[in-house]
Amino acid sequence: MTPVERAGQEAGLRGRLRALFPFDWELLRHAGAEPVPYHLKKWWFCLGGTVLYLFIVQVVTGIALTFYYVPSPAQAYESVAAITREVRFGWYIRSLHKWSANFMIVAVFLHMLRVYFTGAYRHPRQLNWCIGFLLLGTTLTFGFTGYSLVYEQLSFWGATVACNLAAAVPLAGPYIGYFLRGGPEVGENTLTRFFILHIGVLPTVTFILLGLHVLLIRLHGVTELQFEGEEAPEGERHFRFWPEHATTELMIGVLLMYLLTVVALVFPAGLGEQADPTRTPEHIKPEWYFYFNFRLLKLTSLQLSVVLTGAIGAIAFLWPFIEEWLSRRFRMPDEAPVIVGVLGFLGFLVLTVWECFAA
Amino acid sequence: MREADRTTRRAWLATALMGAGLAVSYGTLAAQALMFLLPERLKPRTRLLFAGQIGRYQMGSVQSFYDLQGNQILVKRGAKGFEAFSSTCPHLGCHVHWEAENQRFFCPCHRGVFNADGVATSGPPADAGQSLARVPLQVNEASGVVYIEVKDVKGGRT
Repeated sequence: MTPVERAGQEAGLRGRLRALFPFDWELLRHAGAEPVPYHLKKWWFCLGGTVLYLFIVQVVTGIALTFYYVPSPAQAYESVAAITREVRFGWYIRSLHKWSANFMIVAVFLHMLRVYFTGAYRHPRQLNWCIGFLLLGTTLTFGFTGYSLVYEQLSFWGATVACNLAAAVPLAGPYIGYFLRGGPEVGENTLTRFFILHIGVLPTVTFILLGLHVLLIRLHGVTELQFEGEEAPEGERHFRFWPEHATTELMIGVLLMYLLTVVALVFPAGLGEQADPTRTPEHIKPEWYFYFNFRLLKLTSLQLSVVLTGAIGAIAFLWPFIEEWLSRRFRMPDEAPVIVGVLGFLGFLVLTVWECFAA
Repeated sequence: MREADRTTRRAWLATALMGAGLAVSYGTLAAQALMFLLPERLKPRTRLLFAGQIGRYQMGSVQSFYDLQGNQILVKRGAKGFEAFSSTCPHLGCHVHWEAENQRFFCPCHRGVFNADGVATSGPPADAGQSLARVPLQVNEASGVVYIEVKDVKGGRT
């Protein structure tokens, strides 16, 4: 007898409910009790979960903000101003959304560093690295489109520059630029497009990619690591996902909410000058997570910086496969990927800090 | 059953406290989010706008000013003292003007008529029982100056 058939024969209210929703709860309990390795008790192995938690914060606060935000060039700025100044707890919800976005990007970077330097992207998990890299792409696009929605001077001109950067991509660029802007120049259509990308297209794509990402983690299992001098005694090498690991994630979540609230109180999301399409401000700067690209743009030409970013992105995207190919072909020393990772991250860091302190 | 699975008093207390803490903290957030979604708003920060000296107003006359958003405001000196109204007709948003000879506000779009108190007396606004929106006003007798209270451009929490 299958669980569904058995459920149909149970008496009383319980049986009738089970007949209405013939789901085998034992299956869920079994899936939830999946063993995870003991090193997941350390927070830096929970960074993926941190990103997921912050993403949920983004979804909740984002939906709330949509209740008041008006995606039209004439009213966007005013509606953000009203959210910040007039709507009850508007400043809090908006600050949570802003800071959670920044935290999320930091957490994504840290998660990627952790996965890279523990070699967790290697066979058989190469594909999940690629999916994760696409998630980095959607996260950054989220940040970029979301910032533009505020429609203040800096965000407006940031969007203009970014659209022109996209338009400088060889071959497809002009079409991408035209599509993003909704015309030959940033105008009436652009804000609506960014809005739909931000609240419709990107969340859908992200949910699908996240689903695949988590599914692959479950199919492969979490990477087993052994640390010297930290061997766990037999029988304690694993614990259950539910409820032990879920509790860890929940505790991190509470800490994150606390930190978010503190930064929201101390540095509430501000509002610059309203966007003026006729006047470019003296100094324009993107959000910090695009500093590396902005610095690269200043160091090289428009075309070269776009091609360079694309090339670095493509290499990083396919790195697990490239590394495999390289080590088969050239017998790379074991340290080579570590050196590549350190150099790559230092390069990103140097460009970012350089732009940060540039006059 | 594993040793860890057996509920001790300490474990039960820890779970209960953790659960209560989570419920209270996320409950607070949920309450704030609910208040955010309710459309009642905080009073926006206002500022006083100079609306002329008392002596410049003749009895039964109106002077026009603009607030910081560019909306027209009509300040009237009548039998009841100073009053200020938004010039926007509540019917379809045309601008009303003051007819001194009739002591009434008139909207040319659909012939809406408002008496000296801003209450519609004929035309579509009267049918709908509408009035001109009042704007808060202060008269400072000491300095002899009239102020209207308008929404500030910048202010509040930024």
